[in-house]
Amino acid sequence: MGRLIDLDGLGRFSAGSRLFATGAGQSSYNLAYDWAASVVGQGGGQGVELVAAGELAAGTLCVAVSLAGSTTALGEQLPAGDEPERAVRALERRLGERVGAVVALNLAAENALIPLIAAAGLGLPLVDGDGTGRVFPLVEQTTYTLGGMSAAPLALAGGSGELVLLETAADRVEELLRPVVLAAGGWAVAACYPMAAGDLARVLVPGTVSLLMRAGEPGAPRSAAAPYGVRTLCRGLIQAVEGSTGHGGELALPSLPTSIVLRESEGLRRMVRLEAHNEILLVLADGAVVATVPDQICMISTADGMVVDVDKAEPGLEVDIMVVKAAPVWHTAEGLALGGPHAFGLAL
Amino acid sequence: MILGVALGEAAPTMVAVDDGTATWPVARGAARHASRACVAVDLGGVRTAPVAAIRVGGPCPEALGPVVGSGAATIVRGGHSVTGRRLAPLDTEAVRRFAATCGLVDFAVTATGSPILADHELEVAAIVAAEVPRARITLSYEFGYPGLREREADAIRNAALGPEAGRIADEVARELPGVPAYFARSGGGLVSAHYFRRFPLTCDRGAAASLARGRAALSGGGGRVEIADGAEVSAEVSAEVPVEVPDGVAAAYGAALGRPEAHVERIVLARGRAELDRVLRDARDEALTRVVSAGAAPGSAGIEEITVNPLSYLPDGLYRVRVTAGGRPWAG
Repeated sequence: MGRLIDLDGLGRFSAGSRLFATGAGQSSYNLAYDWAASVVGQGGGQGVELVAAGELAAGTLCVAVSLAGSTTALGEQLPAGDEPERAVRALERRLGERVGAVVALNLAAENALIPLIAAAGLGLPLVDGDGTGRVFPLVEQTTYTLGGMSAAPLALAGGSGELVLLETAADRVEELLRPVVLAAGGWAVAACYPMAAGDLARVLVPGTVSLLMRAGEPGAPRSAAAPYGVRTLCRGLIQAVEGSTGHGGELALPSLPTSIVLRESEGLRRMVRLEAHNEILLVLADGAVVATVPDQICMISTADGMVVDVDKAEPGLEVDIMVVKAAPVWHTAEGLALGGPHAFGLAL
Repeated sequence: MILGVALGEAAPTMVAVDDGTATWPVARGAARHASRACVAVDLGGVRTAPVAAIRVGGPCPEALGPVVGSGAATIVRGGHSVTGRRLAPLDTEAVRRFAATCGLVDFAVTATGSPILADHELEVAAIVAAEVPRARITLSYEFGYPGLREREADAIRNAALGPEAGRIADEVARELPGVPAYFARSGGGLVSAHYFRRFPLTCDRGAAASLARGRAALSGGGGRVEIADGAEVSAEVSAEVPVEVPDGVAAAYGAALGRPEAHVERIVLARGRAELDRVLRDARDEALTRVVSAGAAPGSAGIEEITVNPLSYLPDGLYRVRVTAGGRPWAG
């Protein structure tokens, strides 16, 4: 069977999980790391077993565990500590079956660590892979969905003891989940996508946990975290951050759109515009489209090499704009429909 | 004449600044005639007081609890979510018990959600003040940024630095009687001595920031230091060779170049443009008030920067607001 993620492995894994993580808050990441470090070593200090989906018996029940909602909210309202376990146990009760392994929804910062915390707390293995190969804002935007799996039934455990079980059609999970997360204070831990290991092996982006553990080794290049390729679009100085008060459109996404305007610091000195809505969706350089979702677009601070979140962008920051190629499945017709420009209301 | 002062391991270094040109050294008698003194000090290694930390919020894993070293800490029920909802009523009795029995006077209070709503921190402060008349209380909402543990760590450090900051401010006042004193901030700019006593954390790396500022001015900003020997100028340091100026002198010079500055950070809930404009006005007013408290002449205070970002993955109407205000020192 697999390998163990011990404290040392946790350090490499979490470092790798931040290389292209957007929307991660420094505060919530720190607490997720400290929380993970305190549970990974418990129970004799063995660590968490890492397994490939194919190594599990085909009928093993697997569930995806993730943070739902806002990292700012998690950093402000701390977890009680039992949320991952409460969410998973609620799904077990609903399904009348024990869970045999935990898998991540995505592996960006806190979202990489929370399934690890769940696995450690429940004494279960963590599956080597995830459901996006990057981050998307919506719980449905996963390769699990593309493979025909439903996020529901889904259990949510909030920081004040809330527990909510959602049962609905696969395409309405987010719609129901968001107001519940909000009512719980802005964040909750979700256990979702219950599926057999045999199915999981078919629908996940494989090997991404061990990939990030390698990419998080000291001295490893950042590109090691981008198995499908990464390019630097440009380096620029942020000139302006423009908020919108909504656009009254049909689209239902959390939060509000933001535009970030940069002036390229070298080369063509183009005016570069980032259109963001929780994540960066689109990059225009002198008016021409140069990158869009489903590829992942990141601002990396030239000062410290850290990812700059959309809601931390401010005039005067110098950043590199990097584009991480999405897993091939996102560039199929179905993948584009779920995670491409149209999915975000961009008629490109 | 503006006096720049760098405090360090050795005796203080003082420079006299007129029209951007610094003279070093300065006679003690002359120093006492300065229009204002700008003090650069790093608080990294100074003596800290044991702190009584009160966190208002729910139970959490032990690894995420308050870190106070030799002090005392408690978690009491209460606080608010980032959406402004009350999580639980404040456990006033637990606050009273802890304040009465901890035996300490330097308090740091951090409530969940205080960047959005500071009610519970203010309520805790009132209870502590009634229970411990000599208490010095730092409230984390004054720092304003989200991230409970980081804000709490800063509030605890601010409280721990309080007594030593008071001692430093007293010493400067004794050494320079009648000279209004300012202290250099970690991020550039100055605050009044009164502000420094309350928020020493703001000046935690004041000497390092002043040194960077002084060096930058000398190496290209048109700044000059004349090194005097007795009353005669024996060497003039030109911009080409700034390395000849000792660190302490450059830091003292950099401090003297600063202006009062203050920051306000908040999370605000505003549904619609009109309400957002109103909360931004409030944040601006608060920043202006704060920079005046930091020693700016009231008529000179102005807003230098305002940043408004919608918070990701939260509903419409939640924004992170940061305001920087600056002004001219009222003294000199």
